[in-house]
Amino acid sequence: MNTVISVQNLKKSFNNTKVLEDFSIEVDQGKITAIFGPNGSGKSTLLNILSGIIQKDGGNFRIENFNHFEFSYIFQNYRESLLPWRTNFENVALPLEIQNKSKQEIKQTVEELQKLFDFKFNWEGYPYELSGGQQQILAFMRALVTKPKVLFIDEPFSALDYENNLRLREHLQKYYLKYTPTILLITHNIEEAVHLAEKIVVFSKRPTRVIETIENPLPYPRTVQSLKTEEFHQVKDEVLSSFQKVANL
Amino acid sequence: MKRYNIIGPILLILVWAVASQLQLVDKFFLPDPFTVIKKLIELIESGAILGDLFSTLGRVILSFIIALVIGLPLGLFLGRSEKIYRSVEFIIDFFRSTPATALFPLFLLVFGITDKSKIAVAAFASMLIIIFNTAYGVMHAKKSRVLAAQIMGATKAQIFRWILFWESLPQTFIGLRSAISLSLVVIIVTEMFIGTTSGLGRKIIDSQITYEISTMYAVILLTGILGYLLNLLFLAVEKRVLHWSGK
Repeated sequence: MNTVISVQNLKKSFNNTKVLEDFSIEVDQGKITAIFGPNGSGKSTLLNILSGIIQKDGGNFRIENFNHFEFSYIFQNYRESLLPWRTNFENVALPLEIQNKSKQEIKQTVEELQKLFDFKFNWEGYPYELSGGQQQILAFMRALVTKPKVLFIDEPFSALDYENNLRLREHLQKYYLKYTPTILLITHNIEEAVHLAEKIVVFSKRPTRVIETIENPLPYPRTVQSLKTEEFHQVKDEVLSSFQKVANL
Repeated sequence: MKRYNIIGPILLILVWAVASQLQLVDKFFLPDPFTVIKKLIELIESGAILGDLFSTLGRVILSFIIALVIGLPLGLFLGRSEKIYRSVEFIIDFFRSTPATALFPLFLLVFGITDKSKIAVAAFASMLIIIFNTAYGVMHAKKSRVLAAQIMGATKAQIFRWILFWESLPQTFIGLRSAISLSLVVIIVTEMFIGTTSGLGRKIIDSQITYEISTMYAVILLTGILGYLLNLLFLAVEKRVLHWSGK
């Protein structure tokens, strides 16, 4: 399996608080890797360093063939990254406009994605007219419209009710199976992690280390039915046991 | 317009009527509101004031347009780089703090006793407000949206066109509204003192000198209405353009 993202001995502190210290990890190509860990364990910091938003203090990292046009990042504060002066359609189209795609190509690509997601929006409306959950879906579609090879997702499902949460997981899997991007997913929710990821990386508290990497052999697509299987619960228990080591429970 | 919006004007006229009825102020200096309103209607119906109204309005609009055409691009440009803005901030703040009317003699020297100097000084004062507000709007844009666009690989020009410009608009509109109000103030004042034969400012001074007190009040009222309507117009445009504001 090819490694797409490799991180060695990464260091980062904020005001003398060591968030990352000799932190190393490797992420496989074309897999969904979930990062699961306590609050403040530097999960977002890691993604922000990898995507160039903040500077590392030391160590090395590399994303193979990194290219902004083939990379997407869905922020935790999705709401503040949508553009309220653009219609919902124009918001999803923004990354394609940035890549100077033709109007026709943009229309075609967005429509293709709309079919895959089949959420009912008023596409000529504006993001502020949508519910928090719908805005999150919009942010998702905006990130996927460029068919990124590498996708970072930070707490993607937090604003959704359970039903929409499950639907979005289903759509993300559909998308994943069709285009097989490398996905790095931060989550606070064990069920989400086990539902989506092929590898679950459990982080310690600060300074962050990898406690354990758990392989999840459940076959895709994982449906709601998969959540009820014995195998699912085995993996979930394994993650929980690993988490217990760091969580003082 | 909400129904309770009418309470303000009614209250004003009521206080005015009572004050003049009770002779709290000499009737000669404060005629009752109905005489003034009647006078105003008369001035408008006879067309006697329309020439003054249009020349004042023309000067205000012209000075505002000049301020807009120069100030808006300049503000957008300066706001793009905090370093550039900080380096000229003193000049902008200094002249913004100087009463525009104090500069009027200077403009008279340059442009002579003409309409040009009135319009120029009003445009100058308004322009500074537009520059200041627009530049601040750009500088204080939400970083999260810029960041998202950067990650998508947007160029600086794209970020400016698709994000910073829009982010600055709410603050820019505040500047535009202040600018039109200030334009009106400066134009009225300069009309009062510098040779012109038309304009509401001229009319107010002329009626004061000739003791046509009710005419003076009627014209003052008219300038107030004019300023208010301009403000209302800008608010309406703002609401249309900034449909997302406050949401």
